[in-house]
Amino acid sequence: MNTIIEFVKTEWNSFSKKTKIALLVLTALVGLFGIFAIQILFWGLGYTDMNNTFAMGLWIIGDLGFVALGGGAFFTGFLLYIFRVDKLEPLINSTVLIGFMCYLFTFILLVFDIGQPLRAWFGYTYPNWGPGLMPQSMLTEVIWCLTFYFIVLCVELIPVPLKHKILDKIPVLHYTGHYLHRLMWIMAAVGTFLSFFHQGSLGGGMWDVLYAKPGWWRAHHQFFFMAIVAATAGGTCFMIMVPKIAERIMKKEVAPKESFYTLARISGVMFTFYFIFRLYDVYTMAATYVPMADRSFADTLGGYYGWTTLIPELLLCLVPITILNVKKLRENEKTLFFAVICGVTAIVFSKIGVVLNGFSVPNFPWRGFAGYFPTVQEWSIMIGSVATMILIYWGFAAYLPLFPHMKEQESEE
Amino acid sequence: MMNVRWGMSIDLDKCTGCGACQISCMQENNMPIFDEDSDIPKRVTFLDLMKVTNDFEGGKKYGEVQTAFIPKMCMQCSGNDPKNPHPPCVTVCPVVATDVGDDGIVSQIWSRCIGCRYCQAACPYEARVFNWWKPRYEGDFKQGLNSDVSVASRGTVVKCTFCSHIWKRERDRAIAGGETDINKVTYTPACVSACPTGAIVFGDLNNPNSPVYETRLKNDPRAVRMVHSIDQQPENERARRMRIKDYPNPKVYYLSSQKWLRDIISGFQNS
Amino acid sequence: MNKLERKDFLKLAGGAVAGGLVGTTLSGAPFNALQWLVEWTQDQYRPTGGSETFRQGVCSACGTDISVRLIGDRAVKVETANAGCPVCQTLIQILYHPERVRKPLKRVGGKGSGRFAPVEWSEAIKDISDKIKELRAQNKAHTVAAFNGAHNMLAGALVERLLAAIGSGHVYNEPCFCSLSAKAAKLTQNSEGALDYDFENSDYVLSFGARLFEGWGNQARMHRVLNRWKADGVKLVQIDTLGTRTASMATKWVPVKPGTEAYLALGIAYKLIMSYGKGGNLPELGRWPGINDFNPEKVAELTGVPAVTIDEIAREFAGARRAVAVAGRGGEMVSSSVGEIIAVQCLNKLTGRMGVPGGVFVKIKNDRLGAVRQDAAAQAGMAATRKAKGLDDFIKNGEKPELLFVNDANPVHTSVFGKDLAGKMKDIPMVVAIMTMKNDTARYADYILPSLTILESKTARGDAAVAPRYSAKHGADIILEIAKSVEGVAASFPWSGYADMAALVGVERRPQGNFNLNIEVLRTYLDMLKKNLEGAAEMPLALIPYEIPLVGNGASLSLPYVLKGVGREDFAFERLIVKMNPETANAMGACENSSVKLKSSRGKTASLKVHLTKTVAPGVVAVPMGFGHCESTRYAEEKGVNPLEIMTANIDPESGTADWWFTRVKLS
Repeated sequence: MNTIIEFVKTEWNSFSKKTKIALLVLTALVGLFGIFAIQILFWGLGYTDMNNTFAMGLWIIGDLGFVALGGGAFFTGFLLYIFRVDKLEPLINSTVLIGFMCYLFTFILLVFDIGQPLRAWFGYTYPNWGPGLMPQSMLTEVIWCLTFYFIVLCVELIPVPLKHKILDKIPVLHYTGHYLHRLMWIMAAVGTFLSFFHQGSLGGGMWDVLYAKPGWWRAHHQFFFMAIVAATAGGTCFMIMVPKIAERIMKKEVAPKESFYTLARISGVMFTFYFIFRLYDVYTMAATYVPMADRSFADTLGGYYGWTTLIPELLLCLVPITILNVKKLRENEKTLFFAVICGVTAIVFSKIGVVLNGFSVPNFPWRGFAGYFPTVQEWSIMIGSVATMILIYWGFAAYLPLFPHMKEQESEE
Repeated sequence: MMNVRWGMSIDLDKCTGCGACQISCMQENNMPIFDEDSDIPKRVTFLDLMKVTNDFEGGKKYGEVQTAFIPKMCMQCSGNDPKNPHPPCVTVCPVVATDVGDDGIVSQIWSRCIGCRYCQAACPYEARVFNWWKPRYEGDFKQGLNSDVSVASRGTVVKCTFCSHIWKRERDRAIAGGETDINKVTYTPACVSACPTGAIVFGDLNNPNSPVYETRLKNDPRAVRMVHSIDQQPENERARRMRIKDYPNPKVYYLSSQKWLRDIISGFQNS
Repeated sequence: MNKLERKDFLKLAGGAVAGGLVGTTLSGAPFNALQWLVEWTQDQYRPTGGSETFRQGVCSACGTDISVRLIGDRAVKVETANAGCPVCQTLIQILYHPERVRKPLKRVGGKGSGRFAPVEWSEAIKDISDKIKELRAQNKAHTVAAFNGAHNMLAGALVERLLAAIGSGHVYNEPCFCSLSAKAAKLTQNSEGALDYDFENSDYVLSFGARLFEGWGNQARMHRVLNRWKADGVKLVQIDTLGTRTASMATKWVPVKPGTEAYLALGIAYKLIMSYGKGGNLPELGRWPGINDFNPEKVAELTGVPAVTIDEIAREFAGARRAVAVAGRGGEMVSSSVGEIIAVQCLNKLTGRMGVPGGVFVKIKNDRLGAVRQDAAAQAGMAATRKAKGLDDFIKNGEKPELLFVNDANPVHTSVFGKDLAGKMKDIPMVVAIMTMKNDTARYADYILPSLTILESKTARGDAAVAPRYSAKHGADIILEIAKSVEGVAASFPWSGYADMAALVGVERRPQGNFNLNIEVLRTYLDMLKKNLEGAAEMPLALIPYEIPLVGNGASLSLPYVLKGVGREDFAFERLIVKMNPETANAMGACENSSVKLKSSRGKTASLKVHLTKTVAPGVVAVPMGFGHCESTRYAEEKGVNPLEIMTANIDPESGTADWWFTRVKLS
């Protein structure tokens, strides 16, 4: 016991002043998360600004964002283990960890978001499968795929801590880690399959099936696949962005430059696809789908969240498209960093637009656009989740072999 | 097997906005009671008596602008094919807490609902409400609760079911009286029986003798359906669109002799 | 048997635990446990079951037969079968209201502190009767006063009788169309009754601001009338400053400048006399030189109604077979002066619509309780009574009573002098309130005596639907008990209970064709109106009241289901909403959802929210009534603003009631 306290003390004293402040702030945010979590779970969702018109809000945006960005994990795994893009190997641990945390917090936010968290298991025991093989409710599909993929991510993550120098000395753990690692391509394949479905359903299919809501409804395959492309584009950017931030903080190279450039190149291509897809989506919405409800597309983009999310999204998309597809710009540290931040923001904007504008569009001609201002409870739980993720990532980066490349370099030195 | 398809027609020319339907509905369906209930977007009530004016019409001046009330309950949508109903809210439920019966009524099992509110997102009529707070019944107000309607928990979605529990009551009564044909059972929802001018009428949309015979209502120039402007489209356009997508196809018809009112109820065709 | 090795034991135990876990999981028990946990954490109430019965009753608010559904002994629903009024549907909420007065309450805190403690009936009755005896012994019988609620037939009649037997004439009714029009009928038709329009047989209705389908009169009847009008194509012309639902339902809505309804009535009268030869029915009006001030051009300028419209209305009114002109501005709360009612009545007289089918009748109280036996003390008291003209007049100018009965009334909230009354009540030695729930007026009482709700009351037509709850008694029974405990008064009250008397009190409609125009009353009113309309420039806006469906005068605001029905443009997010024309808002620097305070010469309201709509005339602020209670159960208290506090307080000299319809205000 004393050794642990001693260890914590020495560690704490070894931190710089800035690090200490950052740690304290993050811990405080996690504390707020805890306090408001109790309030929400015990006294209900009345404390949020969601209402019968604006039935979902910040947390669902969080879910959509986490899943789409965490989707970089499945795509990177897919590229590495199935397509054998070996240059991505140094990034895969970080990728798996980010994916794991994104999915974990998607679950946590979902539990907060449903009115009856104690009945959350109904999703497994009373699933709405319908008559055929495909589930009838997009949310059923999301729950099941999310669960299975989360299990896959857990299995994928286990080898990372097992590689720690202390744990690695225990033979059982060493071999477990080793064999799990060798099985990883199966995991990647299963994960890709699962992720493919729930990326499409949570980001797209869930909304486009709401046929009575002109703000959302469109051809199912269209929005479904667009969400998958969005996840591959935004996710890969996110998988570059996070280690790059870690690199800037730790002032050490966490992975070979080549790894980043490879992933960035793929991301650039995906963003090009996404942009074309999105333009086609906007065109079909305006030309075909919204007019079928006798409304104009421009009309559904009024309010606070219509044009204000669509235009930034499209503009931000252009940044990774230009930078990541040009070798010179891609291999410049500054422009690369800028591009991936823009890419991630673009995808986040698209998710904000889907949720907020969809709910904001008035259902009756005599109503105006609805507004939504998340309460302190909603913000705290949302930001607290992100803070927890940062702390976990920090712990992994500092104390576990998250970046094998960094260790290799250290030993070389 | 039920051949009945329950439906409603509401004559807005006769609606004074007195609110009897609303109170009757609240009393029948055990609506929760709060000290402060003016947070309207979070309010739990099945029947919303909406006040509308034609202020928005350009060029309308004081003296020309009119006021009307629109009682809005669950429209019990059926999708394009009423024989194979597909209401927007039913298929989205991840836990089968809501279903559509063979009489076309969209039910909701409150004890099954996990409160994900996906059905609320799907509903174009804001007919589904969520218990944001725990439903409360202070003191003796509990004495007035209807034992036919279970009290919902906090964090579940509840909705109007055309008072289908009254149908069950009437069915049991009919069976006890020796009636064996389930299609002969009739009933009146709480809002309908309370309407002092008889503006709300209820019955079987399939039955030519019923006051809400659908074929007759569809040809009534005074009749429109809520945010369902496809009804106003020419036949071939309507058929084309319905091949592409489902429309809610609600079972509530609104009758009005006022064009502006029919226009705004039927949807957004002016936008 | 071999000795169990430690290792084996562990294996066995582990196996048992694992097997048990698997078995428990597969049995579904953990899921059931979770389900119980859900229910336990939510602590959800389950209504008790029981056999279903229906009991017949009558809603005394509208006189409709109702059927009460009971589960066991709990009343759960009132069925009205497409008749009745919204009040019928609230009866269950009134019956089971948790804040009903359960036992007689005696004040324990300071006056107006709102602190009460329960006492026995005998103690309360003895205390009150001792006070009556004391006053009568001191020759102060005339210092007993009583306020009656507007629609309180039997108990109201008994209160009047009680005071007569004690020796005081100070009985005042909360103003309503009945009490106001009764004063007009008294002056012009020498009748003791209120005006009663025969809507059932009319074919043309000209309404001067009477919002007929928004709480005006008996709502159940008005709804039946509406159906007949729709079926028979009866024409309704609604004269109103606001585009209310009644105005929109009318065949024609005639927007009128705020407060100028009487001018329009006289303008139409002018046309009837001058152009349509109807002057013969009322030569006094034709002979009055003042009528010439109401030629169409002048009236068009005064009221904003074009001369051609005035002519059109006059022509239609003169030509209709069974036309009727309706006075009584407002819904459940009517604010009209006697002069204005008389001006409208002139139209009915001019076209010969008095006492004929489809025209105006008189509704006379049919009191068969018999003569009051007054002893010497009572006679002295009656002689000493200097009766005020009406409730507001009494509050403002009357002498301070020593004992005040408040029978199901709430003048502290419904009178423009509510605050003055509250202040005065603190000095009245004894105030006795008879009501089912505490209201703003009861706050200043010394005793609150619980009365029965409608569902618990027997009627002339039969038994009560539900057994009386708590120790509440019928209002009439309470008066009876008080009366019987006072010597000299008891003799006038030979009945054993209110059920004996129910059939003895009623109303009767009588045709009465006589009409003597009292020009003096009309002229005084017109002078007052002119002064009121001519506001100072610093008060550029006109405040006009309107009522929200179900809320009415605010008495029902204590019922949570009424509160739940209030719409988003009336009271939302704990803020009362006033309505304005966008033009007005532009000129005044207000906009949708902005906060304003209204200021009149009498004071300033708390902050209100603005909603813009062109149903309101430019220059007008429409304010909902019924809010701003200081004491009226937790559901109604401290919600919104009571605009009566700043509304015009000019007492009509004839009815003794303030005419608060039109108030000059500004935004601040």
